[in-house]
Amino acid sequence: MLHEGVIALLLILVMVLAAWLEPGFISVGAQLELSTHAFELALLALPMTFIIIAGGIDLSAGSTMALASVTLGLLHQAGTPLWLASAAAVSVGAAAGAVNGIFVSAVRIHPLIVTLATLAAYRGLAEGISLGRPVSGFPEGFQWIGAGTVLGVPVPVLVLIVAVMVAGVVLSRTVAGHWVYTIGGNELAARHCGVPVGRVQFGLYTLSGMAAGLAGVVFAARRNTAKADIGAGIELEVITAVVLGGVSIFGGRGTITGTVLGVALIHELRELVGWHWRRDELILIVIGVILVGSVLLNNLASRRRA
Amino acid sequence: MKRVLGQRPAAVRDGGAGARAPARRSLMLAGILILVIGVVSAVNPAFASLRNLGDLLVQSAPVIIVGCGMTLVVLTGEIDISVGSLLGLLAALMGVFASPQHWGLPTAVVIGLTLAVGTGAGLLNGLLVTVGRVPSIIATLAMLTILRGVTEFIMGGRWITDLPPGIRALGTGGALGVPWCLWVAAAVVGVSVVIARRTPLGLRLYAVGGNAEAAGLARISTARVRIFAFMLLGLLTAVAALVAVPQQSVVESGIGVGFELVVVTAVVVGGTAIRGGTGGIAGTVLAALLLGSIRTALVFLNFGETATYWERGIQGGFILAAVLVDHLVAARQGSGGRFIGAAA
Repeated sequence: MLHEGVIALLLILVMVLAAWLEPGFISVGAQLELSTHAFELALLALPMTFIIIAGGIDLSAGSTMALASVTLGLLHQAGTPLWLASAAAVSVGAAAGAVNGIFVSAVRIHPLIVTLATLAAYRGLAEGISLGRPVSGFPEGFQWIGAGTVLGVPVPVLVLIVAVMVAGVVLSRTVAGHWVYTIGGNELAARHCGVPVGRVQFGLYTLSGMAAGLAGVVFAARRNTAKADIGAGIELEVITAVVLGGVSIFGGRGTITGTVLGVALIHELRELVGWHWRRDELILIVIGVILVGSVLLNNLASRRRA
Repeated sequence: MKRVLGQRPAAVRDGGAGARAPARRSLMLAGILILVIGVVSAVNPAFASLRNLGDLLVQSAPVIIVGCGMTLVVLTGEIDISVGSLLGLLAALMGVFASPQHWGLPTAVVIGLTLAVGTGAGLLNGLLVTVGRVPSIIATLAMLTILRGVTEFIMGGRWITDLPPGIRALGTGGALGVPWCLWVAAAVVGVSVVIARRTPLGLRLYAVGGNAEAAGLARISTARVRIFAFMLLGLLTAVAALVAVPQQSVVESGIGVGFELVVVTAVVVGGTAIRGGTGGIAGTVLAALLLGSIRTALVFLNFGETATYWERGIQGGFILAAVLVDHLVAARQGSGGRFIGAAA
């Protein structure tokens, strides 16, 4: 709770700074418009929270996103109806995640190694089947998924709100959520307690792949282009947001609230710096300093209490 | 220190289970490397030409040089994913230090400063991990982001194209017809092997990664050993920057993006356990060469223009296959080749 409090305070500070520097930035309209930019980051951060709490990691999310988006683009080009192409893209994402899940849960290879390999493999597959060429020209009805609004709220944000609520309830209120913490706390003990460790791990990586697939579809709809290089490096951003939100990289600790705060902080900082200073490199430096600073502060605080 | 430890760690002790796994991996990698070179040469004899194999070595040199340092860091149970960004920063700094339009410093000073900045970045990583108790993947993830930001700040979207001849010679020159980067890579590999296998420090690296608590009880300063490993990795990243960056006439801010993944992949495919304690330099070097040869092989197999788009896919599939095969072999032999124990 302490960590979440600190991040929430930081978020408020950033918003106060924003109000002072750029009064237009904190208006509801501007915030709603900017909020779509956070969709991929936020959507991927939810399964990543589960995975890291369970003691794993998924580095292949960005590549899976590209693979799904390229699948969508190629099927669209071949004349497949868009709803079918989108479903296929999300399925490809889920399959990619399932492969990670099998290697982690059944073969039991360290997830860092498995997803490092599939990070290259899925990106390579996306590059290979698309030959690096972009597909664009999606019909307007499809672009609505990425840029449309319902009662003024962008569609991706509505999807996100539902996803966050489901993730929060599952993690904190269900047996499955409890298993995730147990596995991350002590995998061996969890096995001995009869927790279906393998099934939970397989499910988490599959879910992560599915989320990446959905992110790939929405990204293609928003930018009106599907290409093999999208989402490059987003996995590191997602992990940054999750860890910033107080999820322990060693597993066993963390909350969806924390992750949402972490994502919000990174999102608002990025948009504010982009809006006011228009310098991308500044965002990188600020996010890196906050990431390492928040963990350092946390360590100092826990040492004092101990 | 040996007296206190009683005996050499399993990974170093001849014939121990820890030593077998890396040796087996090295043999397997050497076999596959020979197979790849043999098959591709049979299809296209030009592949086996001295010149092409030389190019292959030159392309792999940075991965080998940084991979040696990374192996030592991973042996202690830590990881450093900031090396790609550090390489980019050092390239930018080299450009700024050396370019007559900027600082125009003499070559020797540029070399000294580059090595110092690299080592300093490694020291900072080491301090964050040991004194700051920040998990190394988090600390170096932050550094990955920060250093990339600093690099872009320094470069400001511009290119540096006027590297002086003294610096360019580091990348383009050589001795006895062999480019500097190969001499340097050979020296780095030699020194790293000696450090890992023949010095008390090497024993401590394995001991800290094998069981940090036991190493601490044996009066090994686990913090100092890890700081050393991070500093050496920073220094070697600077060495790689010095011999690799001047091979091109242009310095831009994108240098080194994704390099950390290539290096970590080489270390992991080379058989060093990601949790530390077992592995070695030889595997990393062979894996780096193998990953490099796949890229070149695709070109020589005449699959045409489209082949290059499949490069990363094949590399990734290959890594999975290598890890899987090694895992199955280890499981059959019952020697702990498994990367993740249930009781991690």
